Amino acid sequence: MLRVPLSARLAYRLESGPGGDVLHLQGEVTRPVVRELAELLAEPRTTLLTLDLSEVVVMDSAAVAALVNAWRRSRAGLVVGATSPGAEQALTLFRVGVEAVPPTKPMSLFEGLGAAAFDAKAAVRDFLQIAADTTFAMVAAIVHPRRMRWNALIEQGHDIGARALRIVALITFLVGLTVAFQAAYQLQQFGAAIYVADLTAVSVVREMGPLMTAILVAGRSGSSIAAEIATMQVSEEIDGLRVMGIDPIEFLAVPRLVALLLVMPLLTVLADVVGIFGGFLVGVYYLDLAGQAFLDEALTALKPFDLFTGSVKALAFAYGIGMIGLFYGIRVHGGASEVGRMTTASVVASIFYIIIADCFFSVVFYILL
Amino acid sequence: MTASEALVVRGLVARYGEQTVLDGVDLEVRRGEVRVVLGGSGSGKSTLLKHCIGLLSPSQGDVWLLGQPLHGLEGAERIAVLQRIGVLFQSGALLGSLSVRENVALPLREHTDLPEGVIGELVSLKLEVVELSHAAHQLPSELSGGMRKRAALARAMALDPDVLFCDEPSAGLDPLTSAELDELLLRLRDRFGMTIVVVTHELMSIDRIADRVLLLSGGKAIADGTLEEVKSSDHPEIRAYFRRIAAGEMRGSATALTVLRQASR
Repeated sequence: MLRVPLSARLAYRLESGPGGDVLHLQGEVTRPVVRELAELLAEPRTTLLTLDLSEVVVMDSAAVAALVNAWRRSRAGLVVGATSPGAEQALTLFRVGVEAVPPTKPMSLFEGLGAAAFDAKAAVRDFLQIAADTTFAMVAAIVHPRRMRWNALIEQGHDIGARALRIVALITFLVGLTVAFQAAYQLQQFGAAIYVADLTAVSVVREMGPLMTAILVAGRSGSSIAAEIATMQVSEEIDGLRVMGIDPIEFLAVPRLVALLLVMPLLTVLADVVGIFGGFLVGVYYLDLAGQAFLDEALTALKPFDLFTGSVKALAFAYGIGMIGLFYGIRVHGGASEVGRMTTASVVASIFYIIIADCFFSVVFYILL
Repeated sequence: MTASEALVVRGLVARYGEQTVLDGVDLEVRRGEVRVVLGGSGSGKSTLLKHCIGLLSPSQGDVWLLGQPLHGLEGAERIAVLQRIGVLFQSGALLGSLSVRENVALPLREHTDLPEGVIGELVSLKLEVVELSHAAHQLPSELSGGMRKRAALARAMALDPDVLFCDEPSAGLDPLTSAELDELLLRLRDRFGMTIVVVTHELMSIDRIADRVLLLSGGKAIADGTLEEVKSSDHPEIRAYFRRIAAGEMRGSATALTVLRQASR
């Protein structure tokens, strides 16, 4: 191993001649002196610089890099003349590749907009394709029950529905309670405390029940559908199914979507009941209303139409959550990081969709009444 | 084409956007042979495989699988052809939520009307062939790399395929396990008369298993023949491949000295 003192200086001799400058490098041209070498080579020149390496004892990769770099940058020209065996060895040991062009050049604003528009168009087309395939396969499975994967359906129903009972009940209970408290605070001022029952019942059954259930299901099950399908996509399991002649839509998508459509209205009904119960507790223990009076008032406030609108919302939410989860799952190309990204994107998209759809249905039902 | 060929690929061109991945590739696989498609990363060998098993449709050219034009078929006919092939994916592609037994039983449940008892028996037979009976009830995540490959092999063989495609069978396996897998493949060929197509970059195992080799490079077939024929070729890229010389040595780049000898500018 060659040791070079840190204080080493570059040994050289610079000669000017009619054909340009000649730089004679001497001794050990290694890392400690490369900075000096690079600075020397970077000095602006007007004529060709010829490097004489015949007195070089040893050269290392840093020195080679400095020479190649100077060669690339030189305006007036740079060329290597005579070489010593040591220099020649170093210079033949390393190869200078063709500079790779950076893979993506930055796009202009308009190019970026155009590309984004094309991406969006392709995404919409893909989404509609998957939605159409899944819906068609679902109808086919309902018409021909033999094509339904009953085991998977039951498993999914259990996962999406039964295992969500506690969290849905807890959250909607608290929401019902909160709504009732807020209402009580206002209505007490007018001595109209009994109307807390109306307000809680209507807002829970029409809005809060379906909405909170949908948001919880999107967070729990929409994300898990996206993550599961995405992982299967990444680990070639979906390709595996296709090659075995098993339609992944029928095998994976339909049971999940049907389970969502079955379970969501049920969860919503639970949410409605528990939410009203939260309001009931506020009415009875905080406002000192008679329990029977609260229930009677709540039931007269509700119309059968409210239950219908709640169920329609629940079904629409379920369909959207399922399709969005599937779409983001199937879209994954690449590795593990992409799975995480798409899962997050699917939850954001689901919740966005739920809010928009809820708003739309509320307006439509308001007009219908 | 004749009945002695299990797979015929003619003038296959594959493009992703503007990038041409395969540029006019021909491949014939005779029945009962072990055909190796050899190539480095990015040579297009995985794309070729995906066309042969129907996961991708060619931009140009045709694929005949067992005498049928794969990409002209739809619905039940297509599934019927696909049922006559088995695919051993690089990662196994076993369903992570099902045990080894259930994974092997899956194609049988999906595509046959065999009674449950027969399916169970058949699964046991296949697991015995790949010597995995002891791990039948384990989940894929509980298996070692070699066991996972064997389980995937058992599933690929569930429907007694005529052609077995293997994508990088030795990827991720130690040399010994990989050699065992090679022996297993040869045994399947000999015992069941299976046609086997192996796509790989591994030179180590092809000496043992390959009847004929197709060497892909840059989306083109640069050699096709028996291993001896291919190895004795003078083509610089082929020689480089078998001598394991880095591609950089082959094309483009020059030594620093050559570059510096030319005056810049």
